[in-house]
Amino acid sequence: MKLLKTSRKFHRWLMLFVGVQFLIWSISGAYMVIFDIDYIHGDSLVVNHQTKVEVSKIGYPLAQLQRRYPDAKDIALEVFIEQPVYRFHENDSQYLVSAVNGTQLSPLSQNEAVRAAKHYYRGHGKVVDVSLITTQPPTELSSRALPAWRVNFEHFSQPSIYVSAQTGKLVGKRHQFWRIFDLMFSFHVMDYQDEDPSNQLLFWVLLFAILAAIFGAILSYLLIFRGSKAHQQAGEL
Amino acid sequence: MMSMIKKLHKWLSLLVALQLFIWLGTGLFFNLMDHEKASGNQYRQSLQVAAIEQARLIEPSLVLASAQPVVSIRLISLLAEPYYLLTHQQGLYRHLKSEYSLVHAYTGARVRITELMAAEIAQASYSGAGQIISVVKLSPPYQDIPKEKNQVWQVNFADQINTSVYVDSQSGRIVSHSNDDKRFVDFFFILHFMDYGNTGSFNNIQVIVFGLLTMLFCLTGFIWTVDLARHGQFNFSVSRQKRQLILLNKSQHTIAKFEVSKRVNLLDALNQQDIALPSSCGGGGSCGQCKVKLKTSSKITSAEQAHFNNQQLKQGYRLACQHNAGEIEQLSLLNDVALAKKHLLELSHSEFISPFIKELRFKVVGGYRLRYKAGAHMRFFIPAANGVSIPQRLPEALKPHWQEIALLQYQHKACSRHYSLACGKGQVDGGTNELVFTIKIQNAANNSVLPGIGSSYLCNLTPGQTISAVGPFEAFYAQPASNKTMVLIGAGSGMAPLKAIIEEQLSAAQVSKCKLREIHFLYGARTRQDLLYQAHFLQLSQQYQQFYYYPVLSNPDPQWQADKGYVQALLATQLHTIFDVSHTEFYLCGPAAMMTTAMEILIENGVDASNIAFDKFS
Repeated sequence: MKLLKTSRKFHRWLMLFVGVQFLIWSISGAYMVIFDIDYIHGDSLVVNHQTKVEVSKIGYPLAQLQRRYPDAKDIALEVFIEQPVYRFHENDSQYLVSAVNGTQLSPLSQNEAVRAAKHYYRGHGKVVDVSLITTQPPTELSSRALPAWRVNFEHFSQPSIYVSAQTGKLVGKRHQFWRIFDLMFSFHVMDYQDEDPSNQLLFWVLLFAILAAIFGAILSYLLIFRGSKAHQQAGEL
Repeated sequence: MMSMIKKLHKWLSLLVALQLFIWLGTGLFFNLMDHEKASGNQYRQSLQVAAIEQARLIEPSLVLASAQPVVSIRLISLLAEPYYLLTHQQGLYRHLKSEYSLVHAYTGARVRITELMAAEIAQASYSGAGQIISVVKLSPPYQDIPKEKNQVWQVNFADQINTSVYVDSQSGRIVSHSNDDKRFVDFFFILHFMDYGNTGSFNNIQVIVFGLLTMLFCLTGFIWTVDLARHGQFNFSVSRQKRQLILLNKSQHTIAKFEVSKRVNLLDALNQQDIALPSSCGGGGSCGQCKVKLKTSSKITSAEQAHFNNQQLKQGYRLACQHNAGEIEQLSLLNDVALAKKHLLELSHSEFISPFIKELRFKVVGGYRLRYKAGAHMRFFIPAANGVSIPQRLPEALKPHWQEIALLQYQHKACSRHYSLACGKGQVDGGTNELVFTIKIQNAANNSVLPGIGSSYLCNLTPGQTISAVGPFEAFYAQPASNKTMVLIGAGSGMAPLKAIIEEQLSAAQVSKCKLREIHFLYGARTRQDLLYQAHFLQLSQQYQQFYYYPVLSNPDPQWQADKGYVQALLATQLHTIFDVSHTEFYLCGPAAMMTTAMEILIENGVDASNIAFDKFS
């Protein structure tokens, strides 16, 4: 009887402080497991194009490119929308150069960026907003992807397609469900800035949460498994 | 509504408890773990990049002319040699199904990642001291890299942490490093995500179901907490202030005043004063037993709403455990003399009066007298002890009755048990120093349960031994004097409080010299041997014209001339022939089945509930 009372007291008082976090854990956890992670990641927002490089169109050889950009690194011959292009780094900068005639396509104009975004985007909605992001990216975009164009489409999930202004590549795809997921994750790990699970707040709350749960488990055990006995012994002190 | 939420919370706890602890425990692990180790990259180093002689490079268009169509051709470096990586089919992510081929960038020769190359690439990415012990080509799925959908070479190193390096079998790319540290962490992820199929995902049906149940569990707990807070069940004051509590009896007379700490609840406050209200839940508001009466304006908690109707709440009925002493100035007890004190009793006499029932006589240590109304009971504190299923010192004559009882030695915990006082002298001359009980030794119904702990313990006491008890509690007693006929119906050892009431009535009439009302005692037993105090009652019925005794046997011997069957059956047949129901009070005490049937018979025959008193027999 003493244990029952002590457990009840501690369970109540601890839960008064950490109970809300239990609710947050369960709601954010449920959100994260219920929504398919591939959907969250916006895989269904984009088309994974497999357009092949047309060898006959290549009119600008690699040797010529290397003479023009002697320090070019990580060179790739790929396809941008429909034309063959060279993508490479030189001196911390990325470039997009037409493999047809050697025209430097980067940085992308707004029109080109929108054309690319529409090409990557699977939906049919209108473009509602285009902006070039060069510094201080939103949390949903890595700073390594800068500079990038954000092209927002009209849809209830508010999809954004991020196109690198330097390579023309798809560097981000986000919709509201992913943004909520990120929010849920930060609430789940109790780090509201860097989403890092190794933080002091989480540690202390977890510690008290475990204590509260142990007292709760003792309560359940006593009331469910020992409950019938307790009733038989009605009046027990 | 609240009671449903509480029930839901209680039962959900059973469902989700284990997983909840797994979540909390693994969560703490993720919080504390070394992220460096968890990455699996303890011995990973970046690869050397080949210095490219531009003049020697073959033009990509030449390579493509004789290759399968590509979405990308990239100049890469493998083992300090330049290669063209041709991507024929590109997965949305690298771990998804893709198709690659490799061509040497100087010679144009098609190259495949052989076992040897894979080993060399893995070695180049490995900074540890371990030797390669095996190189195996594997197909998905993989234990270490569950998401990977392409064929890989697994290169295993002999080091303390069993490093494995995975190399893409088509492109030669280092897919991942893994080691025991990472595998350990992965195991915790499997537990946290309930990903028992090791798919590397957390979108499985079991985690969704448990997630939703847990959400409901937390929500009900949250609502409960809010409800507790709204009803002032959280008291933040840390003061040790005391206040005076005035205790009233049922008829609103002050019977005690004492100092209590403001922060304790009334149930505990009364307990500290040795006033033990009944409670089986210990103060959670769930058993509803610790009933008291407070000011009608006292707050009403959801537990009280579940246990009282509106009329009772308006009258001030509350549960003692739901209110702090700080909230109120006075409370009324519902049962008089719950102001019971603890007494030490010494056994003076112990005797079998039937094969399974003993009469125990105790003296109150200290020599003082206890006053009680007939029908009252005492609560005995049975200490933890070793028990035995068959009484010690069993008289020879009774042994045949105990033959079928299995001898069982057992240990039992401390508990408390109620027993009715079986003597009607509680109000004569300021009470009595001798307390009499008739106690049936409860045998176990089967081997899986223990025999009655309390009855066995008490009946095995030897004269001179002592035991503490609290009481007397007067919950069952004769109505104030009236001229109504009294009918007492009892069976087995349930006779004890009825015997006391009968004795009290008879002696009271004798003392006051007033006219005795009619008293009928219907008493059921199995056999003649089980009829307790038969001679005593026969003698009383001869001595007092107005006292009628009806023994009934359910399993009589052939010589038995009186009534046969169950006592409740006798009640049914006799009810209208002997008694005028509107002018009769009924007192019941006996086993549950007998009580229920008897009550039904009485109600069916138009007996007003106010004319029935019963003592639950346990």
